[in-house]
Amino acid sequence: MTRCPGTAGRMFRFLALLTAIVAAGSISPAVAAAEANAAPAPAASALAADARIDPVQEPPKPDAKPAESKPADAKPADKKDEKKEEEPKKDRFFAVKGGVVHTVSGGDLRNVTVLCKNGKIHAIGAGLEVPKDAEILDAAGHHIYPGLVAVRGTGFHAGSNPDDGTDVFSLNMTLGLAAGITTVLSGDAVAKMTFGSVEDMVVRKEPLVSLNYATRSPEQRRKLRQSFDKLLEHIRKTEAYEQEVKTNKSAEKPDDKWIKGENEKYLKLLKREAVAEIAADTAHDLHEACDLAGRYNLRMVVRSAYEGWTIAPELARAGVSAVVTPRTRVDADELRSRANGSSIENAAILYNHGVRLAILPPGLSVSTWGVVGEDLTHFNMEAAFAVRGGLPQDAAIRAMTLDAAKVLGVDHRVGSIDVGKDADFCIVDGDLLHYMTLTRWAVVNGRIAFDREKDTLLSHIRPGGDVNAPAPNDYWPRRLGADWTAEPGVPATPAKPETRASAP
Amino acid sequence: MSRQQATGHRQQAMGNGQLSRARQEASFPCPQAAGKREEPRRRGTFARRFTIAIAAVLCACTSALQADDSPKLAFIVGKVLVMDKTDSVINNAVVLVSGGMIEKVGKQSAVQVPSGYRRIEMPACWIVPGFVDCHDHVVGSLSDLNDMVYLTNPGLSTLDTVEPHNSNINRAVAGGVTTALLIPGSGTNMSGFGTVSKTAGDSVADMVVRSPGSIKIAQAGNPERYWWGVGRMFMNFNTRQTLEKAKAYHEAWVKFEKGETKEKPAFDPIFDGFRGLFARTFPASVHTQIYQVVLTTVDMLARKLDIRTVLDHSEFDGWKVAPLIIEAMAKGHSIYTIQGPRAYHLDRTQRKIHGNAARWWQAGNPLLGINTDAPVVPQEQLPFQAAMGCYYGWIPYEGIKGLTRIPAEALMVDKEVGTIEVGKQAEFCVWTGDPLDPRSSCEVTVIHGKIVYDAKLNRRF
Repeated sequence: MTRCPGTAGRMFRFLALLTAIVAAGSISPAVAAAEANAAPAPAASALAADARIDPVQEPPKPDAKPAESKPADAKPADKKDEKKEEEPKKDRFFAVKGGVVHTVSGGDLRNVTVLCKNGKIHAIGAGLEVPKDAEILDAAGHHIYPGLVAVRGTGFHAGSNPDDGTDVFSLNMTLGLAAGITTVLSGDAVAKMTFGSVEDMVVRKEPLVSLNYATRSPEQRRKLRQSFDKLLEHIRKTEAYEQEVKTNKSAEKPDDKWIKGENEKYLKLLKREAVAEIAADTAHDLHEACDLAGRYNLRMVVRSAYEGWTIAPELARAGVSAVVTPRTRVDADELRSRANGSSIENAAILYNHGVRLAILPPGLSVSTWGVVGEDLTHFNMEAAFAVRGGLPQDAAIRAMTLDAAKVLGVDHRVGSIDVGKDADFCIVDGDLLHYMTLTRWAVVNGRIAFDREKDTLLSHIRPGGDVNAPAPNDYWPRRLGADWTAEPGVPATPAKPETRASAP
Repeated sequence: MSRQQATGHRQQAMGNGQLSRARQEASFPCPQAAGKREEPRRRGTFARRFTIAIAAVLCACTSALQADDSPKLAFIVGKVLVMDKTDSVINNAVVLVSGGMIEKVGKQSAVQVPSGYRRIEMPACWIVPGFVDCHDHVVGSLSDLNDMVYLTNPGLSTLDTVEPHNSNINRAVAGGVTTALLIPGSGTNMSGFGTVSKTAGDSVADMVVRSPGSIKIAQAGNPERYWWGVGRMFMNFNTRQTLEKAKAYHEAWVKFEKGETKEKPAFDPIFDGFRGLFARTFPASVHTQIYQVVLTTVDMLARKLDIRTVLDHSEFDGWKVAPLIIEAMAKGHSIYTIQGPRAYHLDRTQRKIHGNAARWWQAGNPLLGINTDAPVVPQEQLPFQAAMGCYYGWIPYEGIKGLTRIPAEALMVDKEVGTIEVGKQAEFCVWTGDPLDPRSSCEVTVIHGKIVYDAKLNRRF
């Protein structure tokens, strides 16, 4: 059932890239991108979406007629591929109708259709014409939010190459989707919960460069600053060389062979091409992190930051983003001569000072041992606790969607419902931050990845919103094989003797 | 048992050194809100002690003064969840508090606020009875959680570990929890007597409501690890034989007290504490979970020994015992199901997530509550535990009932707390909305008619 693109698929992508480049000749990428991000976007602007080129993103998916727009100088393909190219690749349309669309980036829309084409949001509008062969999801009475983005999660994907080893039918992935999560930083890759498929799973690799800048390891801190200084010197020398080489052809290019491994990552940080991630929780560590960000002009995310509320203006001035867990409990140390410890108001205070927030619960997995509400199984509840501390509700939702995507540098793909972005939705049966709200569907890349009524895990809980629905049947003895799908009230048949035959 | 008795216990306890912190705390007149925690330090120690001494003398001498000690408060709020047996809710209400008790509850149009009352106007807020947590380990010091000396330790009591103003209960108060049953851990089959305590108070005597509050019994699912060779057969034998000895002791004394025999039984400090259990003045808190174990608990304790039984945890597929429990209730046995901290059970054979509270409720168990097993779940998250129960199929009003009236009945403190009714202790919280919703916050907590937490001064949760 995995939908892995083969050689032909890769060729399609290559051609699509060329197509896009040709198309970009008439529409500048900036305009296309701006149009794509406009929300609520009229149907017309959706046309530009396919031509959009994103520097970080992989090339867009194959367009309707790739063979027609094949440029003359395209790389010649072997015969086998040529044949397949000529078959027109069918566009995959998916539409969500009804319900309230919470775009996150541009307010809430009612009575609109969200039309998706090949896994991207193609158009949003009222009275859109939906292609006949489109898969239509009737979400009337539901709320459509962008798929939630967890800036860290464990147990969903495999290793550093999620598309090479993830069990796409795992219980964890289903539980993550049931929590409304569609994108998560797993290991060092931003990956999606593409249930049943590894196609288009990885959004971005190595979005963050982790730095150890804890105050308790001064030696490490000194070494890091030394590396940064050396690299800054190298940047200056390179700039000087580039000037000099214009007049003096024999100018000597500075040696850059030593810039590899960590130094290569650091260089990206100093050029602001990558984002530094620092684990800093106390005011002391946070102050040092801000100092580092200011001294070297870094883009930075601080993780934990439970004392952020004590130095919020400094964090705001340094332009760092914060990943917070509003429920963190750390007692104040009364011997410190300043405010310290955790505060339920942390998120609200940081927000009021303009610090970009992403929210994470205390646990980063979807544990099944029974104590719930502490991890990503109830991701939305952590945002609710931030609201308790004074964070506005829309900011709390942004901290699980668009702002979380910005922290990971994937906001051009996910985090809001905008034309051109990935068709990832979390469709729920009520207010996203209410404790009884259940995810009805999770959509990833324009495909239904979780349907609560079709999966037995949670289907018996308030089916159709009925709080008085009867309990599901229990079966005695418990291991009865295939009978567990029996209707409530219908007695189960006894186990067949052969079910035990294979037991040792 | 009265607070005076608890004081006696406290004085005994003071001798053993564990309560040195409690003693220190007791000598600090902690202000009503922690926001003023620095305040006592600014004043001179001698002056403070002297003032307290004077105040104590005055209080002891004049009973009238003692009544005045509690402020007169008038809460003007948007909604009062009374949580009584008629399930009444009063909108635009006034709650008058004086002498530590609820003096009047009614609509703003019907109840005049007399002069001399401090008006607390929070028209958008709700008053909800203080929550009662039947399974708590944080009112006392956590290092004394499990004294695993023998496999049954019938003489021990958590009263010796109560720690006023510890950081966990300071948060609990901010989460709306006002009464908790401090019980020892489940490392042994019988780990000692629990203590019903308030979550605020300047001394052990201030806090403790009843000691013993319960006897903690761990039926299975932890005591096995006590030592090799401890299995369910031995554990059940051991628990049963201890209880039967205690019952025989109690019956011998009853016989003597009724004058049926002149032979005075020998005093036994181990079994004397059990007399209330068999006189049904306090319940057994039973660590029990999984179908077979809950079955044993109901059969052995509730039915055969006729002990008031509180089923703590009651997780996994424990709800399958519900029909048996309802049958036992009909025969007059007392069984309360106080569920938690696990809110759900993943049934791997059916690929279903069952909400534990939901399944107990759907099975028709009328006496259902929720616990935290703090610190397993932080105690301030007790209402959130009920919210999680609701996510998995329970309903909110039942959830709030399972935090207030039902656990108060389970602990036999329902004459004092658990509802907002005239004549009960003023023990409630003012919430910004539905208390189960993590977005709502507890703004004010009142215990014994005094404001013990005010979020405006120092928000703790």
